[in-house]
Amino acid sequence: MQKKSLWKFGTREVVYSAIGAALYAVLAIATNWLQIPSAGNVSFRPAVAIPMFFGVAFGPIVGFIAGFLGNIISDLIAGYGFWFWWDLGNGLMGLIPGLIFLSLVNYKDIKTILKAELFVIIGVLVGMGVAAISEMWVSGADINTVIFGNFIPAVIPNLINGLILVPILMIAYAAIVQRSGR
Amino acid sequence: MLVTWRYRFRNSLMDRFDPRARWIFSLAFLFAATMFWDARFLLFFFLISFAWYFSGRTAWRETKRGWKLVGFLLFVMIVVNTIITGGGAGGVVPPGGHQVWSQGTTIPLINWHFHFGLTYERLWFAICQFLRIGGISAIFLIIPYTMDPRVYGVTFRGLGLPDNFAYSMELAFRYVPTLARDFGTTFDAQRARGYEIERVKGGIVKQIIRIAPLIVPVTMNSILTGEDVTNAMDLRCFGTRPRTWLSKLTFHWQDYALIAFSIFLLVGGIVTQYAFHTGNFWVPDFWLRLAGG
Repeated sequence: MQKKSLWKFGTREVVYSAIGAALYAVLAIATNWLQIPSAGNVSFRPAVAIPMFFGVAFGPIVGFIAGFLGNIISDLIAGYGFWFWWDLGNGLMGLIPGLIFLSLVNYKDIKTILKAELFVIIGVLVGMGVAAISEMWVSGADINTVIFGNFIPAVIPNLINGLILVPILMIAYAAIVQRSGR
Repeated sequence: MLVTWRYRFRNSLMDRFDPRARWIFSLAFLFAATMFWDARFLLFFFLISFAWYFSGRTAWRETKRGWKLVGFLLFVMIVVNTIITGGGAGGVVPPGGHQVWSQGTTIPLINWHFHFGLTYERLWFAICQFLRIGGISAIFLIIPYTMDPRVYGVTFRGLGLPDNFAYSMELAFRYVPTLARDFGTTFDAQRARGYEIERVKGGIVKQIIRIAPLIVPVTMNSILTGEDVTNAMDLRCFGTRPRTWLSKLTFHWQDYALIAFSIFLLVGGIVTQYAFHTGNFWVPDFWLRLAGG
């Protein structure tokens, strides 16, 4: 069996990065259409769990590309334009949970799930933090606006979505791994 | 579920430029514009951005949705942050300044007297923010409408990204319609089993859990498909040699001109800002005269 490597970007990673990005984009668009009730202007995207899960299952690079590219594609489809720093933030939300990729064996194990949840929290905080702080540089916003206008409204829904959906996806993936021996 | 790209060929001036030159210009513009808070420079960038924007020949009805998002961002950044709360304007506007209502103001009917700390300097900063955010938005908002999604992979490869990353991008764009179709099939199948996404009962957590029967099958199915694609690519020796691409991009004279202009913007911005120390926040005299200052 081939040894797992954290920063490898071979054929498997190329394919899963692409699938992750396309899935994120499609589900983001699909759930926009489903109109889940959410607070105020906050875009509630259950699809953010996809890059986090792809990071956990296939490594940090796959998680990063799934988030970064997926956000670009969903914005391209929706016609929102190109927002590099928010794309980068979404990428980081996938990359950071991916850092535990090598240490995971059984995706159903409660300790593994808790570990993944911890890295999902760190990923959301860092990713959305980077994206929100960029507004200080691009738009000249002050720190209060960045925290209350960008950071908190982005962090809360992403955390809720990630913390609920990532374990569900991990358990479903465990069944695939077990059945196929991959 | 129908997923459509916003792009269509319009035979516009923008369509004649190579996508690599366009990315270089867009990024150079972003970095150059963010070096300035002086309205005279920002007006220059604003005019360039809208000249570029209109060269794409997009109709208002096409870009309306994107502009609504930009309008919301502008409202939060300018009206809420700079004008109403006066949250320091990112440390750009010096403290103090000429107050618009120095004596305070009284709200009629309820007779409530309060001091609204808005200054003429902050109002001028709001104009600068409008020029800067509006200009940057125009440059980036136009991209999905005017750039062919089929050339993203080869474009980023041409810009120096590794083959694997560029190919991943290409593959992602190609997967979107397939996964959208899979999602539609899963959605219909779940509905046939009595699944009701439209039910809004329950809190946020319940709502998200209700999404799982849609997300999980689509994701797991695509992971299984991914294994087959990986095997097929490995059998064709993917990654052992540099790739060739179906579409080929070639620079023409207008692309070189655009790249030269991009370099001028970026280098000009750096020299103006760091060698001449010009371009920081500045309030014109006529504006301060309005304040009686």
